[in-house]
Amino acid sequence: MKKIFAILLVIVCAVAINAQQSPGKDHSKLNITCKTCHTCDVPTKSEPCLVLCPRERMVTVYQKPEQTPELIVMDQISDRYGPVYFSHRIHAQMSNMGGGCEGCHHFNTSGPILKCSNCHESTRKRENVSVPDLKGAYHRQCMDCHREWSHDTGCNSCHQLKKDLKDVKKDNIQKKYAGKQHPVVLEPTKLVYETKSDKGKFVTFYHNDHTKQFGLSCISCHKQESCTKCHDVNRTDKNKNLKVVTKKTFEDQHKNCISCHSKTENCNKCHNDKIIEPFNHAKSTGWALNKYHINLSCTKCHGTKLPYKKVDNRCSGCHQNWNEENFKHSVTGLQLDENHSAFSCEDCHIDKNFAVKPSCNNCHDDYSFPKQKPGKMLKK
Amino acid sequence: MSGKSRRDFLKTSALIGAGVTGLSATAKAGPKNILSEDRMGVLVDTTACVGCRNCEWACKEAHNLPAGNLESYEDRKILETKRRPDHTALTVVNEYSSGKNSNLPVDVKVQCMHCDHPACVSACIVGAFSKHENGSVTWDTDMCIGCRYCMAACPFQIPAFEYDKALNPKIMKCDFCIERTKEGKVPACVSICPVEALTYGSRTDLVKIARDRIKRNPDRYVDHIFGEYEVGGTSWMYLSNKEFAELEFPKLGEKPAPGVSESIQHGIFAYFVPPVSLYALLGGIMWISKRRKELDEEIK
Ligand code: SF4
Ligand code: SF4
Ligand code: SF4
Repeated sequence: MKKIFAILLVIVCAVAINAQQSPGKDHSKLNITCKTCHTCDVPTKSEPCLVLCPRERMVTVYQKPEQTPELIVMDQISDRYGPVYFSHRIHAQMSNMGGGCEGCHHFNTSGPILKCSNCHESTRKRENVSVPDLKGAYHRQCMDCHREWSHDTGCNSCHQLKKDLKDVKKDNIQKKYAGKQHPVVLEPTKLVYETKSDKGKFVTFYHNDHTKQFGLSCISCHKQESCTKCHDVNRTDKNKNLKVVTKKTFEDQHKNCISCHSKTENCNKCHNDKIIEPFNHAKSTGWALNKYHINLSCTKCHGTKLPYKKVDNRCSGCHQNWNEENFKHSVTGLQLDENHSAFSCEDCHIDKNFAVKPSCNNCHDDYSFPKQKPGKMLKK
Repeated sequence: MSGKSRRDFLKTSALIGAGVTGLSATAKAGPKNILSEDRMGVLVDTTACVGCRNCEWACKEAHNLPAGNLESYEDRKILETKRRPDHTALTVVNEYSSGKNSNLPVDVKVQCMHCDHPACVSACIVGAFSKHENGSVTWDTDMCIGCRYCMAACPFQIPAFEYDKALNPKIMKCDFCIERTKEGKVPACVSICPVEALTYGSRTDLVKIARDRIKRNPDRYVDHIFGEYEVGGTSWMYLSNKEFAELEFPKLGEKPAPGVSESIQHGIFAYFVPPVSLYALLGGIMWISKRRKELDEEIK
């Protein structure tokens, strides 16, 4: 009986190993070249001539952390230790800024999520040793991050010796992780980098402006963050503010900034001899944002494409559907009185130039705005 | 071609050696020095190694050396000092500061490299060392006379001597777990390694795999497979994200160290063959090789 079971197991394993997941009918429409997966020019169903599961980005299946399993029990290769309970969902949440799904699921074309054991065999003694076995693959995924922040390789942070297993109940573990979330990552307001640049020692970086005003998502800069940035056991409050000396190349150092700020721009735009003030629309452009505009993200007016679209100060540049019939003057904060609301725009806004002060001289000799007002100011 | 004929020559001499030993009552199986095409090896990927030292423990367990319990190996203090394999530990792991594109320290497992042209085999005057078909280089306790030439000859300073034993001190070194591999198992260290930083396979495959890893991850590795060519090639090979000199690997040429011909003299010396038979033997070898060459030429 045992023997039959063993043979069955071998067959199941062999099938699992050889059956590289079919990526589906439409996979030729994926945005990848055929050579990424096939070695020959004309792959057929019987001879697909597949390359080994590549480590490169080959992932086309993405799920939100909330859609993923909360807890995964890994018990395929337990020997000395009992099963490992892996809190998948929290890890998925954390991985958002650290490489995303493909940080671990490095090979998954389309279709359902592949099991690690599809490519990683569960025996160390095997024919094809070009990819690690299952035990190696699991440990490589976990330990590279875990030892980076814990600085140790102790087994018991994930494993429970079999003899201690009776203390661990799956239900309890499930309870422990039920609904648990990675806490919201706190965002700094202002960061000051002290550089060695002769173009100006300080780079003042307003983090909140970039996220709130300029509408950048976290992962547009934090793509490959290491967990140690927050979770280093050697990091105490005492050394939290210690200067971090980086050894990056010029390109690496500027990588995140120059994706928006052109490299040819004046260095002093960022580098300065002193710490600089946050961006101020009125100061930098001469056009103060009113109570409506101040709540808009930059992209709403300036577009999402770089370089940002220049907008002139005519309202109609953005508000193209405004005309004399439908325009409600009250949106400017000034409600015209009955007399004035009958006029056409040009009567006060000479040449329809809304950027300059309106003129009263068409009717009134010695009136001027804003000393005299053609109606009532609404509360701002 | 020259390599092949040298190998043939050695095989022939080993055969004759075995023939002579048959006559001698004291000697056991003759020393072997086989360079098989199918020899096995291990690729040590130091960028994957986490320095858990489980391999040290497993090696001791497999060789009946006092090992202690596995949990005690989690103490990383020991990595603050550099160690060498010795008679109490046939393999040790040392830690170095991080290499390129990594925040993690580099951990390097050290043991016998199982050279393709082992200097220890050449140097041993009694032929106590053998290189086997599967690539392993082993040492025979019954033949050793304790001269410690092997220790001096090894370019990696591997063979260790049990100085603390007055009676029958042994030379100790990694034997590539020959007892386990005979039974179809993988070496003990390979078996336990949690991250499979040690890949056990045919040396030819391993070289290909190593090249492929470097090609696919140029940011992760320095472009050098240590052991591919060093001292004529070794069965154990290394990948790293740091120059090997910085990991205290010796800088070695591609020539085997030292000349292999010595082993013939040593082989003869080992079985106390009288000079007359020695000349007859050498003559015999020369005749066989000459005849071979002629045959080869006839075939061509
Ligand atoms: S067992 Fe593997 S990971 Fe651990 S120290 Fe040895 S080689 Fe490195
Ligand atoms: S490393 Fe030293 S002991 Fe090992 S095979 Fe080479 S020469 Fe011999
Ligand atoms: S191959 Fe065997 S003897 Fe050599 S280091 Fe590994 S466990 Fe020890």
